[in-house]
Amino acid sequence: MSENNTLVCARDLTKVYRTGDVEVHALRGVTLDVHAGEFVAIVGPSGSGKTTLLNLAGALDSVTSGALTVLGRDLTELGRRARADLRLRSLGFVFQAYNLVPVLTARENVEFVLELQGVGRDRRARSTDVLNELGLDELADRRPLEMSGGQQQRVAVARAVASRPKLVLADEPTANLDGENAEILMTMMRRLRDEQGMTFIFSTHDPRVVAYASRVVTLTDGRVSADKRRNNDEIRTPGNPDTQDAS
Amino acid sequence: MIGTVSYKYALRSLHGHTRRTILSVIGVGVGCAMGLVATSWITGGGDMEIRAATGSGAGHLRIVPAQWPESRENSLRLTDWQKALAVVEARSDVRAVAVRARASGLLAFGNRTAGVEMVGVTPAGEEASNRIVRKAHIEGRYLRADDAGAVVIGRTLADRLDVELDDDLLVTLSGRDDISRAMLTVVGILETGSREIDGAVCHVTLDELNRITGFEGPGEIAILLDDNRHIDRARDELAQAVPEGNTVITWREVSPEIATGVAADRMFTRLLIGIVVIVVLLGIASAQLTAVLERRREFGVLTALGMKGRQIVSLLMIEAVVIGLGGAGVTLLVGGPVSYWLATSGVNITRMMGNDLSMGGVLIDPVMYGSFGAWVVWYAVGVSIVSTLGATAYPAWRAARTDPAQAMRVV
Repeated sequence: MSENNTLVCARDLTKVYRTGDVEVHALRGVTLDVHAGEFVAIVGPSGSGKTTLLNLAGALDSVTSGALTVLGRDLTELGRRARADLRLRSLGFVFQAYNLVPVLTARENVEFVLELQGVGRDRRARSTDVLNELGLDELADRRPLEMSGGQQQRVAVARAVASRPKLVLADEPTANLDGENAEILMTMMRRLRDEQGMTFIFSTHDPRVVAYASRVVTLTDGRVSADKRRNNDEIRTPGNPDTQDAS
Repeated sequence: MIGTVSYKYALRSLHGHTRRTILSVIGVGVGCAMGLVATSWITGGGDMEIRAATGSGAGHLRIVPAQWPESRENSLRLTDWQKALAVVEARSDVRAVAVRARASGLLAFGNRTAGVEMVGVTPAGEEASNRIVRKAHIEGRYLRADDAGAVVIGRTLADRLDVELDDDLLVTLSGRDDISRAMLTVVGILETGSREIDGAVCHVTLDELNRITGFEGPGEIAILLDDNRHIDRARDELAQAVPEGNTVITWREVSPEIATGVAADRMFTRLLIGIVVIVVLLGIASAQLTAVLERRREFGVLTALGMKGRQIVSLLMIEAVVIGLGGAGVTLLVGGPVSYWLATSGVNITRMMGNDLSMGGVLIDPVMYGSFGAWVVWYAVGVSIVSTLGATAYPAWRAARTDPAQAMRVV
């Protein structure tokens, strides 16, 4: 894999949270490269540092020590505004609790991100296209409270990928979904990876979800305890639903 | 950049928190309504005080000898006063003109005496420009242009001297060369209700005063304008046109004690309004800050999606403008009728001041009116929006600095 294909490059990454005199070491020297087109699952027990790693990779939080380059940008050098710009233009986010704007419809939620990016008049058409591509056209005019959790999360994915980001980060995207909706969501994300070459990094506890990953990184106590790339026949895909759950 | 979806977002957020929005709108509206009513009252009251001061003889403007502002010497006379008068009368913004001279002296009747400032007037000009003459009850009559040896005095002065109509008074004045004396017949006793004013009024015709003192011409030309907002402009224009040796001063210089009183009144009331507005603003700011803290997770998500600080500030400012507009509506709904009532019905201040309606030698109106006009709408909209934006500034700044990772950890 060439260096140019490396979207995330973490070297000896640490993150310490301080609350008064108490220090919590969330990451203790993580070294990890993620390359374009990978579909990476970050697994590990609660408190192992999965969310922290995603937050750092998503420029949502700052590194305590170590080096972190995302899409060629050294995050330790970026200020608040540059980080926001990176998130807006180059990264997509899917959150565990969906976090759609409750007062906007599905289409408006997608359109909102495009508007923030400065997309002009065609943002409505583009948001409609994204929803159509993902089979969400029937939900376009519904507000989040009028949708199920699974539907909301699919709209959240549509929002995340509307600007065609190279890297999509998803923190426990299926945690609030039942098995069926979790599978629908993963199928959708996998299709985006296969058809549009997007790179996904997602954290999860769910073995059925892990089955879709092309690579599984296991975190334990803030360290990478395992990093396994998988062959195509090990990966669960829409056309290969019987693949074994993997971990 | 803020676009249509952001506007929808802001408006629907307000709609989604109806109770909070309504309370904010009412808070802004009631606070601004208090400010509106107070402003109406001050503006109307200030106008009334200026009207009273300028209409009680001072005039909006006064042409006086160039040395007068410094010396306040009554023996000074205008240079080429006919030309100065012609300049004044040629203006279209002049409502009334009074030509006068003054002399300090003593009135005596029997064994009683009283010190006075005798004013030599042109009766027609005085009746047109001096509300003390116009509004007072006069026993007998006021002066006529052709009166000789006639004097009109105030009721208090008459009581002090124990004189009645047709009594003859001995007047002793400082004349041009020496002390001058004359006998004057009381043709009118003027009663305003103010002991202060009624104890000071002593009018003769200008010709009579100059005949007694030996001076020539008037010492002042008092000018009432149609509109007191143009005093300074008219003063500047007149100052260029009056003959050399004269100067033009405003009522503020003629009656500095009243001008100071008016300014002090305004400052005090503005201070009160300021305190009220600050308290209201702090209330709104507190409510907005609470709202921002409640929405911390929401702002965290927006920040995570890449929304920049200024875009979050803009979003909250849109909400603030809408609250401000709602507040303007409440301001007009609550403050408008009260201001209108103040402007049309007024408040009878005799209950507070009794019947002595004078202040610093000025005859004030028994009913004080507020001010009302199109400015009420601009005031309501402007103050409501500006104050809401001001009160939202800090909460918006806080929202703009939301740490996304930290905010989203809060469930």
